[in-house]
Amino acid sequence: MGLVESGKMPKPLTNLLNISRRYSIWIFQWGLACCAIEMGAALGSPRYDVMRLGVIPLPASPRQADLVCISGTVTDKMVPAIRRLYDQMPDPKYVISMGSCANCGGPYWDSYSVTKGVDQIIPVDVYVPGCPPRPEALLEGIVLLQERIRHEDMAERWKGDPIVVT
Amino acid sequence: MTAISDRQKLAYVNAQAADGRVNLEFETEEGMTLNMGPQHPATHGTLRIVAKLDGEQVIHCEPVMGYMHRGYEKLLEVRTYPQVNTLVNRIDWLGSFTNEVPFILASEKLMGVEAPPRAQWIRTILFELGRIANISLFLGDTALHMGGMTAAFYAFRDREFVLNQIEAVTGGRFHPNFDRIGGLKDDFPKGWIADTKAVMARLRDFCDEIEDLVVGNEIFQARTRGIGIIPGDIAQSYGLSGANLRASGVDWDLRRDVPVGLAWDQCDWTVWTHPDGDSFSRYWVRLQEVREATKIVDQLCDGLPSGPIMAKVPRIIKVPEGEAWVATENPLGEMGYYVVSKGDLGPFRVKIRTASFNNISVIPWVTRGVYVPDVISILASLYFILGDIDR
Amino acid sequence: MSDAPAPETDERRDRLVEVLRSELGDRVVDSLVKPGDDVWVRVATDAWQETGRVLRDALRCNFFDFLSAIDWLPSPFGKSEDSPLDQRPALSTDIVTGYAGGETRFQVFARVTSLPERVSITVKADVPLEDLAVDTWSAIYSGANWHEREIHEMYGIGFRGHPYLAHIYLPGDFEGHPLRKDFPLLARHVKPWPGIVDVEPMPDEGDDAEAEGDAAAEGAE
Ligand code: SF4
Repeated sequence: MGLVESGKMPKPLTNLLNISRRYSIWIFQWGLACCAIEMGAALGSPRYDVMRLGVIPLPASPRQADLVCISGTVTDKMVPAIRRLYDQMPDPKYVISMGSCANCGGPYWDSYSVTKGVDQIIPVDVYVPGCPPRPEALLEGIVLLQERIRHEDMAERWKGDPIVVT
Repeated sequence: MTAISDRQKLAYVNAQAADGRVNLEFETEEGMTLNMGPQHPATHGTLRIVAKLDGEQVIHCEPVMGYMHRGYEKLLEVRTYPQVNTLVNRIDWLGSFTNEVPFILASEKLMGVEAPPRAQWIRTILFELGRIANISLFLGDTALHMGGMTAAFYAFRDREFVLNQIEAVTGGRFHPNFDRIGGLKDDFPKGWIADTKAVMARLRDFCDEIEDLVVGNEIFQARTRGIGIIPGDIAQSYGLSGANLRASGVDWDLRRDVPVGLAWDQCDWTVWTHPDGDSFSRYWVRLQEVREATKIVDQLCDGLPSGPIMAKVPRIIKVPEGEAWVATENPLGEMGYYVVSKGDLGPFRVKIRTASFNNISVIPWVTRGVYVPDVISILASLYFILGDIDR
Repeated sequence: MSDAPAPETDERRDRLVEVLRSELGDRVVDSLVKPGDDVWVRVATDAWQETGRVLRDALRCNFFDFLSAIDWLPSPFGKSEDSPLDQRPALSTDIVTGYAGGETRFQVFARVTSLPERVSITVKADVPLEDLAVDTWSAIYSGANWHEREIHEMYGIGFRGHPYLAHIYLPGDFEGHPLRKDFPLLARHVKPWPGIVDVEPMPDEGDDAEAEGDAAAEGAE
């Protein structure tokens, strides 16, 4: 993988890699609060069926995951655990922040124990706003992320702006 | 290998430091320490369980909470009454509407306002729908922890129908924020009642299905019968409530025993208890609770009185000085608000008594000497929601 | 409430108060019965543990609801809702306590229920500032254990004889006692409540010229 790290990938190879990565995302569910239930509904329930998008929601550990979905309120006590989880994931890794709480603190913007946004600790690729976002919104977030992965240039990974689902 | 970047280095150092703290906290001399969580499927969120083991047996098991502590009681002191209503929705996030009701009732009690009968009935109906949405997930989830995946999918499937009904009225799948001091935001939409009755019939089928699939299952019985027995007096002294208390043979249901003005006394339903006090009986009692709830909703839909849904209240809500306590029987157990008002736009102090906090405080007692897989069965059957523990 | 219906007597609740008085004597400082509604009793600080025992043994209030505390100091920050441009209203610092009275800034209160009688009672006790501690209830009601840990963390009130008075919610290095009224919510001070932040002058309030100037400048770019 030296090619990837040096950023000198031949174009067809990048394309091939991106297409394969796009449809084989293992998503780790980091459910924290109310949003976790909507995430569960989106990822686990037969009605929304996330697997048709080429996303597998059941990795046994973050070490096998490509994408983590932080859904819910991040508290200061939780921060070290989230940081550690993120560091355990292998590159290339993506983060979806689901819900107002994970985006910015949400209804607890003035609380003494809530972290005002998970992006203070880890870089976030997709923000899905809402309190809670509907499962469809999370699915759209995943689709947008797939779009981005499709056109991604490995070397440029962190330079783009985050996606916001509207 | 390329050199790691500064960002990664920093992250690594941070993670190590955090690790060091955690390990220091729970250093033990004898036995082995097993750490579950803070993110573990069996803990419904972010409860962390630290168990000291001797072989397969638990010597001592201590829940570590606070990973979801959001500082409700402080935040409510800087909110106005309508704002409080929005926030408390999010305590027990599976049955949100049930969180609003006791707070609204407490404020109404202080103001001397009473909602008109139709509002009370609609509140009761939505309350019971919240209960069904909440407990049906428990029915599936507990089976999941015992190794049965299918029931969880069934639960998610049938729960959607209830959420649809709630959404049709309130506009939110959960977190409806539908209650107002003095009444409700809106009336039922057209045709809602017929739909709801169809959904209730479906839910009763779901209960039968669960009864066949889970309760009658040999593996499930082997993993829950006789596990985690909590006698009635211990349950009371820990303040266990709801189905956990009734499964210990204590016949106590706030809906029946402490009338708060809602419409439960208008219909015919049963409070189920179970003499055993083990994990199985907790599951069984909850299953019956869903059945009864569907019956209550059916009856209330039939007898819904007509009339206004809002009492006369001032536009700007100021609650007179005083203290009031109202508790209702929420899906998880007794949830109450002790509201202290100083005549302001917002409360002076609100003590939120949540069911799960008391319910899981029994864990150190009940897990003494059990085997590790039984801890999962006990945790699952005690049923808690993290927002309800940590607030 | 003053306009409550004509007070009938309430035997079950009166009995609770009577028994408490006969067991504790004049260490029951004050009481308030709202017939058909609720009952409050305030006991002396040193009788706190004794009260729990009487409630459990003599009155069969076996069911433990909650144990909590309250800080009666009016918040020195108001509700942190005033816009930063307005004059802050002068805030009183008088301590006005609630039902059943009180003499100190901090009070602990607990609620227990007698299931067979279907009646609950709220008991309160003052906690003097000089010695911020009361005796523990955890030996009487096992459920009180965690509630006391919570109160200790949130208010800094100690509980004598408690087995393990450690942090329960907050990370170990948290400083301060969040539920005390003088604990500021920093986020609110840094950035006032967004609901009333819209205090920009309306367009017709005089600086039209400036606004026009800005527009012209933008147009030029
Ligand atoms: S964004 Fe809303 S629904 Fe999601 S975790 Fe926060 S409070 Fe709960």
